[in-house]
Amino acid sequence: MVRFFASLLVALLVGLGLGLYLGWVQFPVQQTDSAATVLAQRYKDEYTVMIAQGYLADQDITGALERLRMFQVDNIPTYVQDVTERYITNSRDVRDIRVLVALSEGLGRLTPIMEPYRPLPVSGA
Amino acid sequence: MSYTESTPSPKYTRPRRFFSPIGVILGFALGLAGGLLISWVFFPVEEIDVAPWQLQTADREQYLIAIALAYSEDGNLDRAVGRLLSLRLNDDPIQAMADTACRLATTGYVNSTSGLRAVRSMMQFYQPQGRVGCADEMISAAAAPTQVVDVTLPTSTPTLTPAATKTATPESAVLATATPLAITVPTPANVSAFEAISVNTLCSGAESGLIQVQVYQINGTTGIPGQTIRARWQGGDSYFVTGMIPERGPGFADFQMTEGMSYIIDMPGAASPIDAALEAVPCTDPNTGERAITSYRVIFRSIT
Repeated sequence: MVRFFASLLVALLVGLGLGLYLGWVQFPVQQTDSAATVLAQRYKDEYTVMIAQGYLADQDITGALERLRMFQVDNIPTYVQDVTERYITNSRDVRDIRVLVALSEGLGRLTPIMEPYRPLPVSGA
Repeated sequence: MSYTESTPSPKYTRPRRFFSPIGVILGFALGLAGGLLISWVFFPVEEIDVAPWQLQTADREQYLIAIALAYSEDGNLDRAVGRLLSLRLNDDPIQAMADTACRLATTGYVNSTSGLRAVRSMMQFYQPQGRVGCADEMISAAAAPTQVVDVTLPTSTPTLTPAATKTATPESAVLATATPLAITVPTPANVSAFEAISVNTLCSGAESGLIQVQVYQINGTTGIPGQTIRARWQGGDSYFVTGMIPERGPGFADFQMTEGMSYIIDMPGAASPIDAALEAVPCTDPNTGERAITSYRVIFRSIT
């Protein structure tokens, strides 16, 4: 009887360990109803660039602000400024930087580091 | 009597294992089940870096809209489709965009200019790809020309002074003395007593959706009470008078807008309507991040 319970206990612990490894590491639960606040940073950045592109196309700053509220950040202009400056610092795609700078400027957050990336004025207007 | 020694049963003679196979199998099964139960049900991994396809429906729609808006700026179809694929929508992600545009077009989302623009961007993305959705029948993909509101103001008919009748005078009369001809230029009564000198937009959670009007004397600083302001919208109008809120000044009056409506402001019989309709569209207070409706400050000044 002792042999039986000893075997049971040891195997139980091994099985439990394996179950936890599989459930937490190998096959973790994948949420399909997550809020945008837990979106991976690279996708947050990409979303912000897309919103900036939209702003460049329609100059609708209210719409851009409204769409960025999805991330529930405290201060949207500061958030956009941070993303823009990080893009500049990390030498990301210059087209993305330009649209981010345009949005940042639209939100009143044009900093010296952004100056060289401001959209060029249209000549002959 | 002799005892014959019988061979003991193999059950008792085979060497005993140091573990119990039944105990091992049972324990392992129970442990595995318990481990999975704990890790999947009771304490699942809290995801902090999810992908777009894992977003809740409303946020996934926002991501879709962003893809369409970006496409409207760069026209890069490959990039847009790549982004769409990251949403793992269904077999046909472009049709999924058409379906989403359809859903948005049937809700209040398109009541605001921003929302309408977003749905149009989506339509301009999926229509060239041969997809259709109910939004096609409800909204034109191209932006409509700016709405022009025809306003007919009452104008007074000027009464011209009849020309003087010439009466022949006898030649023998003394030389006539030339008298200066007085010319009276008629002006429409009251219509141009005031002019709108500025219309500013603001977004404030504390003063959401207000049209704030100030009526000043010609010096631009002294408010004039008792002036009637009119707000007109599709299907209605409202009159309000300056000076009803003394703490905001004698020339101040305000009007609360309804979200999604457009308003024309004038001073009936005293000032022409402002050039553009004021639209009550949603906005976000840049200071607090609070959602609000755009407010406007309109200033009329006397020109006489």
